[in-house]
Amino acid sequence: MTVNQMKLLIGGVQLRDGVSTVADLVGRILTRAGLHVLSVERSFASTIYGAHQFDPLVVSAAPLLSWGDRAVDVLVGLEYDSNPDAPQQPNRDTIRQHGGDLVEGGVLLYDSSGGPVNTEALQARGGQVFAIPARDIALRELKKEVVKNLIMTGALFRLLEFDQDERWLRQLLEERFGRKGAAIVDLNLEAARRGRTLVERILEDRRRPSVGYRIEAVRSASPAVYVSGNEALSIGAVEAGVRFYAGYPITPASGILEYMERHLPGYGGRVLQGANERESIRAALGASVTGVLSMVGTSGPGLSLKVEEIGVSGTTETPLVIVDAMRAGPSTGMPTKTEQGDLTLVTGGGHGEIPRIVLAPSTIDECYTLMRDAVRLSDKYQCPVFFLTDLNLSEGRMTVAESVFRSGGASIARHVATEEDVRGARYLRYRLTDSGISPRLIPGQRGGVSKISSTEHDEFGFVTTDPAMRVAQMDKRMRKLHTYLREDAKAPQVYGHLGRGPTLVGWGGTKLALLDARERLRREGTEAAVVHFTHLWPFPTHLAKPLLDTGRPVVVCEHNYSGQFADLVQAHCLVPTRRVLKYNGRTLYPSEVVRAVQEVTHNGAVAVRLGGKDPVMVEVSIDA
Amino acid sequence: MPETAQTTRAIWDQNAAPRHRIQWCPGCGDYAVLNAVKAAVTSLELTPSELLLVAGIGCSGQIRNYLNGNSFYGTHGGALAYALGAKMANPELTVLVMAGDGDTLAIGIENFVHACRRDPDITLVLMNNGVYGLTKGQDSPSAGLGQPDWKPSEEHPPFIDPVEVALTCGATFIGQGFSGDPKHAAQLIVEGVRHRGFAVINDFSPCVTYNKVNTYDWFRAHVEPVPASHDPSSKAAAWELVRDFRDRGKLPTGIVYRAAREKGGAAKRLPMWPDELARADVDPLVKRLR
Repeated sequence: MTVNQMKLLIGGVQLRDGVSTVADLVGRILTRAGLHVLSVERSFASTIYGAHQFDPLVVSAAPLLSWGDRAVDVLVGLEYDSNPDAPQQPNRDTIRQHGGDLVEGGVLLYDSSGGPVNTEALQARGGQVFAIPARDIALRELKKEVVKNLIMTGALFRLLEFDQDERWLRQLLEERFGRKGAAIVDLNLEAARRGRTLVERILEDRRRPSVGYRIEAVRSASPAVYVSGNEALSIGAVEAGVRFYAGYPITPASGILEYMERHLPGYGGRVLQGANERESIRAALGASVTGVLSMVGTSGPGLSLKVEEIGVSGTTETPLVIVDAMRAGPSTGMPTKTEQGDLTLVTGGGHGEIPRIVLAPSTIDECYTLMRDAVRLSDKYQCPVFFLTDLNLSEGRMTVAESVFRSGGASIARHVATEEDVRGARYLRYRLTDSGISPRLIPGQRGGVSKISSTEHDEFGFVTTDPAMRVAQMDKRMRKLHTYLREDAKAPQVYGHLGRGPTLVGWGGTKLALLDARERLRREGTEAAVVHFTHLWPFPTHLAKPLLDTGRPVVVCEHNYSGQFADLVQAHCLVPTRRVLKYNGRTLYPSEVVRAVQEVTHNGAVAVRLGGKDPVMVEVSIDA
Repeated sequence: MPETAQTTRAIWDQNAAPRHRIQWCPGCGDYAVLNAVKAAVTSLELTPSELLLVAGIGCSGQIRNYLNGNSFYGTHGGALAYALGAKMANPELTVLVMAGDGDTLAIGIENFVHACRRDPDITLVLMNNGVYGLTKGQDSPSAGLGQPDWKPSEEHPPFIDPVEVALTCGATFIGQGFSGDPKHAAQLIVEGVRHRGFAVINDFSPCVTYNKVNTYDWFRAHVEPVPASHDPSSKAAAWELVRDFRDRGKLPTGIVYRAAREKGGAAKRLPMWPDELARADVDPLVKRLR
């Protein structure tokens, strides 16, 4: 019997079958029941309707190490038919695409309303198949098609021997539908009961009381929530003091826009859905000019359109937090698939040289905690601060203890000058200072006027091409980055002992896979360390080089083709890097990292490309 | 000097303090725009710290250096969008946008159209000269005005009339002036700033160096005041006026349209000071996720 440790995968036809509705319901209930749930490999298509969609959920009694590999313990197919009108529609894709990933003895639950599916091969491998006509029952007996999902949920909960007294489900349904009347709650509960009964009967027929997987509620010391990265970072922004948000609909950053539209006005803020990407960022800059902490959110294609304004923010020294929820590029790329391909764009995008700071959270809880830093640094250094998430982090969900969210407390301390501060000397918006940071008076305050200019300017803000002043202003802006490196840059997080074996280097959302791989390598006798970066730019060479310059192989793992972060590490630390690269739109799996590390350490590979037709492609240096 | 005159003089001095060497060509229409803006802010008794001037790119954008108010200068075509955000964030600021016809009607027309729709309480002074002067005289979207034999093609399309675009897209105050009459332009700006909503003032400002068609003399021959009988609160009348002037080959000066309504509920400045932000409690947000 496996208790409280499994990977579920729920699949179906996008929009029609409510895959994410069921997955979020299950994740939320299990979180309430004291378990830890991680669902970052959400897969949906850039269409509204009809494509195959799936949501894997990893469940555990302890905080999760990672999302694991492809292997699935319990597979739930919500799709019910092979559509005769459109046979090419992927209506049995959950079984077709993921059946092969089912572990020996794993469980398949599917809706057989459209007829049974041949699962002999699966059963031959020990798979336990449960076919229930959920949609037929929903339509014919309960007269409401949509409750088929509750029938399936009830069936799933019975298979997992969970919530036998309906306590958790009833509570959630009452909260969600209570306003619409008890009848709707009862109908949904009745649907869940039908599913439960159907599974019960099959188990009785097979004379097996259990499928070998069970979920038991755990008494948890602190309550937790099931939160997405977009929600977590939005809460972090609201708490830090952001009161103006602008965006333009784009996957996977739209969630921030929707969340902010719903909640920021309650905190006295305003949210603008721009007529385009450029209006969004320009309006946010305008708001920031008046002293309001401002943020925009977008993804790669939107950021490409915003690039011109990065220079405006940097040169006018107008604070701005720019969230880039990365998706697979270039161009339109794969809009609903993850990647870490924008690092070069955020560290170097734009003409000329622009002072900027780049941060990247590595987990969903860090989306919240690190956002505070992003807002604070933008205000302190008066420059653009990029906050790099990816599709998995932004759209994925994870169980996070509520106590995490109380770690921040009050808003950030503002770095804004008052009339008192500037009294005495003539106020100069771009005063030359040792730190590079000029006292910033807000338009509307007395004490001086701000001539805020994106053309090169003198200390007052008047346009100039005077060579000496140009150098002074350029140096002043760039000096802020030195101040940042001295006062605010954070060293990468280190796991394990450096110097005993290969060093796995990562940034952003790959962290949990690297930590999992480290554990697996240790079990195999390889002592690897993980060095994971959150503060990416300006590159903290003084903090990173001592960690990486150990003489052991430095293996940088990232979701892009060229190894954009590996390039930074190599250029700044002057240590050679080996690269583990995955850019097929799918998450990095710990088993792949283990395999790649073996290729690097034993076979001398300089680069390992994952996830193509050959799952592992090895490149050996031509110098070797 | 009586006290009021002294106050007026003081405000004029504060706003007009010559700080930067003026680098417009002798005779440039923009001098008159500058004087009109100075006169307008003086009669509105606005001090430099209460103003935010957002300038476009081009000769027109230099105006920010010749006025003493707070100013912001960003990218080509972006002025109205910066101004939108600034006014949304701090409605207490008087936000004036000063941009040329290339900035507003070519690279920035997206912002012009949507500013008309959004109707923020800002005033646009469109310094319209028919050319890209700073880059030495290329056609702007206003090129073709006053050239009846202009043969439209993909390369040289007919000119855009900002008054018509503004009327179509929902601007709630539309006026037109001319640098040959800065007193009138100043009155228009005063009216525009007083209007609660997006005010578009198309101010013809001849380029003496590169535009050999739309000269002061040409404008003097073609502008004609909006008749006293015109009812600017009627959109139908505004369209009628525009059509009538166009058919007669004339350019109306004065208030073409002014929506007869007060914009509801004065918006508040967004929280930004520590004492305003400290009250934020995100617990309710976290609890909703349970």
